[in-house]
Amino acid sequence: MAASIRISVPGTLRYRPIAVRAVAEAARLVSASSPRDPKNPTIDPLAHDIRHPFDTAVVSAFMEIFNNIAIHAYQRKDGGMIEIEITPSKDAIVIEVKDDGRPFDIDDVAPLPTELDEETLPEGGMGIHIAKTMLDEMTYAPGPPNLWRLCKRLPATQVAVGRS
Amino acid sequence: MPVPFDVQRTADETMLTIRGSLDINSAPALAEEIDKVVATRPPAVVVDLSELDLIDSSGVAALVKLYKGVRSSGGAITIAGARDQPLAIFKLLRMDKVFNL
Repeated sequence: MAASIRISVPGTLRYRPIAVRAVAEAARLVSASSPRDPKNPTIDPLAHDIRHPFDTAVVSAFMEIFNNIAIHAYQRKDGGMIEIEITPSKDAIVIEVKDDGRPFDIDDVAPLPTELDEETLPEGGMGIHIAKTMLDEMTYAPGPPNLWRLCKRLPATQVAVGRS
Repeated sequence: MPVPFDVQRTADETMLTIRGSLDINSAPALAEEIDKVVATRPPAVVVDLSELDLIDSSGVAALVKLYKGVRSSGGAITIAGARDQPLAIFKLLRMDKVFNL
């Protein structure tokens, strides 16, 4: 399982659920997680179900990167495209995301407060922190095209479980 | 896209239930409702996240806005029921301790 999945979506938030769904399903190929309850007719079988920690990490990170591109690179405007290449393997997933919008200054992202309390709870600037922390590797190369590369590996103890 | 929340108010308590996905597409509608809730200076707010499946940083920001708004007017706020991906996000951001999740 090293074939890649390539999708291209308009770079606006309207198309975000399509891209997120593709990434969630690809993550499930790696984690081998099962749907919540496939026999329960009240649960939408297409609804996101990302209880597995691997799926959680991959989807959470990707959502933030998509948000970043739509908001910062494309400034919430129509016209740009996001090219996504997802490569699931038996023990990892690599996602490359390209856009032709404004480059993002990743070094300008402020760290979260070291001491968190009612006063210092952040109301923004969390997205890149979430993505970076959830993944094993995250790189960004300004373009054009701008290229995000996201990698998450399945823990060795879960590879065997996932393949059984 | 259906609005994934509802608000129930009594004299003593405001209950906010959030369902499905709270993200950059749905958070703006919630933020408008939060402004209305905070404007009433509620003595107690309970946020039920037990039916919340997915959250992103925009959703977290909306909840932080609610938390700060209620607390700044002297109200009490309880955030309960977070599970799976939303709980993982709150833990990653170390908000689980502030929110007593």
